[in-house]
Amino acid sequence: MRIPFRVVFEQRGETPRRLSFLVPLASVFAALFFGALFLLATGYSPIGTYTNMFRDGFASFNGITDTLALSTVLICTGISAAFAFQMNLYNIGGEGQLYLGLIGGAWAGIALGDHLPTLIMVPVVLLCGALAGAAWIFVPAFVRSRLGTSEIVSTLLLTYIAASLIKHVIYTPGSFFRNPNTSFPQGRMVADSASLESFGSSRLYPTFFVALIIAGALYWVVKRTEFGYRINVISDSPRAAHYAGINARRTTVWVMLISGALSGLAGAMLIVGPYGKIEPSIITLGYGYAGIVVAALARNNLGLIIVSGILFSGLRVGGNNLQVTTDTPIHIGVMLQGAILLFALGGEAFRRYHIHVVRTHDASSKKAPA
Amino acid sequence: MRKNHIKGFALATAAVFGLLACGGSSSSTDTTAAPVTTDAAADYSMLKAAVVYIGVPDDKGWTYQHEQGIVALEAELGIEVKRVENVPEGDEGEAIMEGLAAEGYNLIFATSFGYGAPMARVAAKHPEGCFEWATGAKFLLTKDAGGEYATFGDVPANLGTYFGAAEEARYLSGIAAGAASPTGKLGYVAAFPIPEVIRGINAFTLGAQSVNPDATVQVSWTKTWFGPDTEKESAESLLAAGADVLAMHQDTTATGLAADAKGAKWVGYNSDVAEAAPNAWLTAPTWNWAPYYIQTAKAVAGGTCPTDEYYGSMADGMVTLASFGTSVDADTQALIAEKAAAIIDGSFAPFQGPVTDQDGKEVVAAGAKPELLDLLGMSYFVKGVIGSPKG
Repeated sequence: MRIPFRVVFEQRGETPRRLSFLVPLASVFAALFFGALFLLATGYSPIGTYTNMFRDGFASFNGITDTLALSTVLICTGISAAFAFQMNLYNIGGEGQLYLGLIGGAWAGIALGDHLPTLIMVPVVLLCGALAGAAWIFVPAFVRSRLGTSEIVSTLLLTYIAASLIKHVIYTPGSFFRNPNTSFPQGRMVADSASLESFGSSRLYPTFFVALIIAGALYWVVKRTEFGYRINVISDSPRAAHYAGINARRTTVWVMLISGALSGLAGAMLIVGPYGKIEPSIITLGYGYAGIVVAALARNNLGLIIVSGILFSGLRVGGNNLQVTTDTPIHIGVMLQGAILLFALGGEAFRRYHIHVVRTHDASSKKAPA
Repeated sequence: MRKNHIKGFALATAAVFGLLACGGSSSSTDTTAAPVTTDAAADYSMLKAAVVYIGVPDDKGWTYQHEQGIVALEAELGIEVKRVENVPEGDEGEAIMEGLAAEGYNLIFATSFGYGAPMARVAAKHPEGCFEWATGAKFLLTKDAGGEYATFGDVPANLGTYFGAAEEARYLSGIAAGAASPTGKLGYVAAFPIPEVIRGINAFTLGAQSVNPDATVQVSWTKTWFGPDTEKESAESLLAAGADVLAMHQDTTATGLAADAKGAKWVGYNSDVAEAAPNAWLTAPTWNWAPYYIQTAKAVAGGTCPTDEYYGSMADGMVTLASFGTSVDADTQALIAEKAAAIIDGSFAPFQGPVTDQDGKEVVAAGAKPELLDLLGMSYFVKGVIGSPKG
């Protein structure tokens, strides 16, 4: 039997402005609806579950401060991903660059901490973390720009090496980054001058505002500067960029280095904030990978990263607490995060294409009954 | 009675500075003095207990063993214990534990080393609750050891730790391994070069050498607790080097499967999973957390939070040996039973001297038993271990 309908994907010339907001919003709601089906099927109340998630993620003091605290890191890894993605450079190794940020930040905090005041020390730690993250992506950036080697593969594989590096610096006796006073594998604390205080009784650190400023600054760079213009031209049409005399190679390297630096910065923020040392459990948390979801949810729009970062963090914090306040299994929260990514990517199709269903009128369909 | 409780100060001083415990404050005594209720009609309605798991209860390893203890606790006291699974360490774990405390849970067990600092912060904010950190050591929360408390006395008073002398069962499993190895070449798939793992390797080696003085144990570090592929590779490399019995400090059965494929024997860990490779299975050191969970819950219900650093053993049943495989003959089983009895009555200890390290230096004098603090910070390999304790 022939299907009497056809789905037509018509590429949009320009995305209508309202869709830029509607599609991500619809993606989240679609994911929640999808999750509701699972909740119903397993005997949990979707309304009750989501109410709980919202309360524990956004509408309580601990909830909102924990959400903003987590978003501090996820906004950085989110911009890191989005900044590269918008130029079709798929840096999916933000996770590994974040580990290097921890190492670079911890190095500065330990080695230089006793010599400098907090006001200088904290920026230095953040800068060293960012530099370490950039250094980690330098080789993938270089070979991508010169040889066209897939940065997807190289950045991903380097993440595994970075994870081994974290284990190495913590579990090797005598390591510079390991606490020398105990035979237990513990990170060595950075100097007091390299540590910030959290706000009141919360787990939120002033680094949150650094993340906001960075997000705003990069948005401005992309929209208003010549460098941003080059990025836009190259991502729209590499060939046009070439004829316009834009050095795509150099821009590629710079964009990837900045992307790596942003993930590294996220790692260094953990050093000046909650950790104060290298915590080997970082390799189980997936903050770098979560940045990819945050970027996808914002459709790589740097202006929206803050919103999607906070939204996604809230879902994670609220999802974590589901187990505490209800009997909902942890897997529901994890599934919702995955569903959001899936629907956010699926939603791209609606944004890029005008999709409509048309009746097929060709003669053959009438002649061939089922 | 056995000295299960060690005073925190002694542990802090000695473990941090590598000294023996000193002075009057160090000798260990039971200071919990929990009024343990045995009355069947005891009221546990005030007790709200929760357990924080690093993994899932059906992992057939570390978390599974804790789950067995929690199930026993529920049955004994007729209460329901809240389980929170797959809890990340660090900030997110802290938020979850804080959520539990805010919900009124007044006894919280956390079953991973990495929960220590987050749990201490939550304990400080919730003095009404009782917090128990498995595998922890309070001195790690002090500034010297990389924690946030200036002195040991600043560590929240409502935080306790619990762990046990797995080395006792490790030693016994070493006897089974030594007796089952025709070549005397044993292998050990080990996670991380930390005192807990090093202690286990040494005890296993000493056990094997008690029946075969020439036995050697080659160590392969995987740098992961849970990594079936890496564990398999390590196991295969040890087998290729000639080992005919493999032991492990890992959370999966990969070592056993690799040994089985080569016709070698296997000493497991954590759980009795003989069915995974029945032909290879010898035995395994395992945990029984039930007595500790039950006694702690009863103490809390009676108004006392046990906050000493509890170090269980075979004597109190926290550490046990799993069932024997068919390759462990009756004579060996009898020998193991005899040693187990001696360990339990205190007449024998796995690290009873003389013990020499890899370089031939005497680390425990003949007839002496090392202090618990030396055991907890062990960083050398005994003679007969092939490999480096530095990883």
